[in-house]
Amino acid sequence: MSACGRLLRSAARSCRALAAFTSSRRPLRTSPSGRAFAKELFLGRIEKEAVFPFPEVSQDEFDEISQFVGPVEKFFSEEVDSRRIDLEGKIPNETLEKLKSLGLFGMQVPEEYGGLGLSNTMYARMGEIIGLDASIAVTLAAHQAIGLKGIILVGSEEQKAKYLPRLASGEHVAAFCLTEPASGSDAASIQTRATLSDDKKHFILNGSKVWITNGGLANIFTVFAKTKVDEADGSSKDKITAFIVERDFGGVTNGKPEDKLGIRGSNTCEVHFDNTQVPVENVLGEVGGGFKVAVNILNSGRFSMGSTVAGMLKKIIEMTAEYACTRKQFNKPLSEFGLIQEKFALMAQKAYVMESMAYLTAGMLDQPGFPDCSMEAAVVKVFSSEAAWQCVSEALQILGGSGYMRDYPYERMLRDSRILLIFEGTNEILRMYVALTGLQHAGRLLTARVKELKHGNVATIMETISRRLWDTLGRNVDMGLTGKLGAVHPSMADSAVKLEENVYYFGRTVETLLIRFGKTIVEEQMVLKRVANILINLYAMTAVLSRASRSIRSGLCNHDHEVLLANTFCTEAYYQNLLALSQLDKYSPENVDEQIKKLSRQILEKRAYICAHPLDRTS
Amino acid sequence: MSWVRAIPQIRGWRGIVGAAFSGAASSQVPRQPLRHIHLGAAAPGPAPTPSSSSSSSLVPRPPVPHEELFGPGSEAGPQDKARFVQAVRAFGQRNAHRRGHVDFIYLALRKMRDFGLERDRAAYHLLLDVFPKDVFRARSFLQRLFVHYPRQQECGVAVLEQMENHGVMPNRETEFLLLQVFGKHSHPMRKLLRMRLWFSRFRAANPFPLPRPLPRDPLRLAGLGLRRLEPDLSARITVYQTPAPPDSTDSTLSPEPDRPHIVGIQSPEQQEALGRHDPARPVFVEGPFPLWLRDQCVHYHVLRADPLPPEYRVAEETPEERNLYYPMQLDLEYGRGPWDDYEFDIDEVAEGPVFAMCIAGARDQATLARWVQGLQETNPTLAGIPVLFRLASSTREPLDSSSELAEQPPPSPPPPEGREEQEDNRRQQQGQG
Repeated sequence: MSACGRLLRSAARSCRALAAFTSSRRPLRTSPSGRAFAKELFLGRIEKEAVFPFPEVSQDEFDEISQFVGPVEKFFSEEVDSRRIDLEGKIPNETLEKLKSLGLFGMQVPEEYGGLGLSNTMYARMGEIIGLDASIAVTLAAHQAIGLKGIILVGSEEQKAKYLPRLASGEHVAAFCLTEPASGSDAASIQTRATLSDDKKHFILNGSKVWITNGGLANIFTVFAKTKVDEADGSSKDKITAFIVERDFGGVTNGKPEDKLGIRGSNTCEVHFDNTQVPVENVLGEVGGGFKVAVNILNSGRFSMGSTVAGMLKKIIEMTAEYACTRKQFNKPLSEFGLIQEKFALMAQKAYVMESMAYLTAGMLDQPGFPDCSMEAAVVKVFSSEAAWQCVSEALQILGGSGYMRDYPYERMLRDSRILLIFEGTNEILRMYVALTGLQHAGRLLTARVKELKHGNVATIMETISRRLWDTLGRNVDMGLTGKLGAVHPSMADSAVKLEENVYYFGRTVETLLIRFGKTIVEEQMVLKRVANILINLYAMTAVLSRASRSIRSGLCNHDHEVLLANTFCTEAYYQNLLALSQLDKYSPENVDEQIKKLSRQILEKRAYICAHPLDRTS
Repeated sequence: MSWVRAIPQIRGWRGIVGAAFSGAASSQVPRQPLRHIHLGAAAPGPAPTPSSSSSSSLVPRPPVPHEELFGPGSEAGPQDKARFVQAVRAFGQRNAHRRGHVDFIYLALRKMRDFGLERDRAAYHLLLDVFPKDVFRARSFLQRLFVHYPRQQECGVAVLEQMENHGVMPNRETEFLLLQVFGKHSHPMRKLLRMRLWFSRFRAANPFPLPRPLPRDPLRLAGLGLRRLEPDLSARITVYQTPAPPDSTDSTLSPEPDRPHIVGIQSPEQQEALGRHDPARPVFVEGPFPLWLRDQCVHYHVLRADPLPPEYRVAEETPEERNLYYPMQLDLEYGRGPWDDYEFDIDEVAEGPVFAMCIAGARDQATLARWVQGLQETNPTLAGIPVLFRLASSTREPLDSSSELAEQPPPSPPPPEGREEQEDNRRQQQGQG
């Protein structure tokens, strides 16, 4: 099998030589990268060039992907025993060896360092298959999406040459050590410390990290620790620095694997560093620049969750459809009951949307010029993790009592999918990220306008009022998605109009929110959540419209089904957005934020459920 | 009381819902301290003493018949429910016609406190049962229009009024008795309905409920007081010193002067703030301040500092590299619009931080120094901070009077230990029931 993997890699290499691509990130299109799409939505604009047409891969690349996909798919469907992995809480060694021989430990490592050098799109495609077993997916993701990503992103040539080849082959496993008992997302409370030794050749590392995926398997750790950094003005300050730490440096120990709800096959444990000597060459990036390294790694690792989950969902749809069409009740198969049909439509729709978003984002990332798509990636992560949880739950429901039994894989999938909402930044945190990043962008551009409004500039006020009046009178929003030579196919013109309308009023609402709250909007988390929800919907609508338009225009099979899915989703999302927009309105009856805040305040004051018991009496 | 006086007064009752409730009626038993119903509101001030209330009463006192039924005063013999019941029974047996029952009921109401039965619903039922049945029921339209048997009805209202003052909720049995005695359209019945209406609504109105009866143990009482003072639920109560071993027969008496109890409270936030306190600036022990827990007054001291002068204050800024996932600050130049500023305009007076609070059995500097010493164990920085004692000596007066109050009822010497526990248990059972 290892020969097979090497064969594959050499085949890929020859392909690439043919295509005369030299860089590891191959451009998919030659058009100049537009401005970031999601950020512009906050201004009420659709950056058409970024998302239309849907990114395509060239024929060469498509062939190359198919070459990779075949054997991996075969391996996962025939040899990986997910049930056993879950029961034993461990991925068997032979499975791991085979994964290594298939090259799956170095998918995004550039070829010159012995990796497969896959583009983001191809990586997403591979994720679809790897997602069939959650434990393996998480192990691989912890290894390459975050564990060794730091070396690829900011490592020096020497570091890359030293570490990447062995990491890519899977000889060494990587882990990412950021979380501490007292520090989840708060970098200021990191307690692990690195002090420079007297001879200035080593850093002495001390501290503990918790919940480190691969912590027990890894040989190479990306560790974040506080170091004293001398400022320009002579004072010294504690700043975070990233280090590459080998287990062989000494003083690295790990606790026993944690007993988890799901992804039980992945290895999660505490890692302790006790006077570990790290050579100064192993500083990742700059001393004191660890914060940016951490943020970059975290932001870059998210987009692939969309396709990973989509792969799992497609499989689950197959399995449940089989059941629904064969199981009979009242002389009718389950598939003829409306409430069961509804579940399949939901699952297909979610899978379609997240797939579209994932590949759209991957395509954007593969554009030349390294566009910043971290916001889109966060959107994909939030949407796909929530959809996964919902769809797996619905699938389990289709099977009724059987779904609850351990004989079927659904309960394991349900347990496994729960972690998606939590790791790589909880969905709550990512919503804040999406909303605040977008608002920051909009705020910078709107500052001048808002200032004039606040100072009572008559012309600006009049303009704003007249625009509002015009809006209320039922304005026709046209951003050029439809019509002759429009980006969206006419069969989805209605949906495109809905998207345009949503985007326009979203821009207005963002402006209003910025005027109302200014920089204190950071504290209005419930408002931010709604803003993020709308943005997620808008990006999803764009992605499905773009993808379905491409399918219908190039005549892919079952494109009518895609159009139906796209139209259904857009209609649902449109009304969700309308509701959310009206909830963002200060005086609307739908806005119950104040009540919610008060409720929770009363509960948290007493730290208990404070209602009297229904059977309580006053006398 | 004459008819002439009674009728307009009763008209008033009819017209105004709350008249009887608010105590406008004059013919009632001696006003007991109304404070009981206020469940220990922290209003300072001298508590009413039983002697002060007798002057306001219009109830005819001397000569008091039937006094002998309740035994030879409160000096001798155990005063408990059995004796009270016995006395009421004895009255019933003494005259079959129940002659003079109104006077007897007034007397019994006055005596209830001595017997410790003022919160015992069954005792009130016993008294209501003394009324002859069916005699006072209005049978015609005219009887209902005018007050039928006013003296008896007033007496019935007085029973209910005393129940009200002690927070005793009437139940179905009360209603049944009143129906039997006075009938549906009588003043006691109306009083009962109003009580039932308002009692149920006010019962849970107090946001700081206290157990009933209040614990006698000064440590537990201090704990209750400190919990009320400190809203943070994470705050920890520490007993720094327990009173001397109870060689005295009664623990409610103030413990030996050289070893008073000290109970303190400190929240984690306060502990943290004390840790950050600049050792060059002194902290103060201030007090005593009174705190009322229902009818008991405890005194507390605080450990605090003066507010930092503005030139020393460091504005706490969020460092830019704080949150790994999302920006904590937006780079915008403007803040919240005036229409979305939900804060009230409040002139806030900057007060110094409070670091800890305590309730001690004695208020002298030596005791409080022991408290500060105890605090040093959990707050090592306190050892290096100068502590000044700012104890108000003028508060000594109310303090002494309140310690008297705490030992109510004053005239009777406290009963022996065993009995008291029994009584406590019984009260607790009633409280639960």
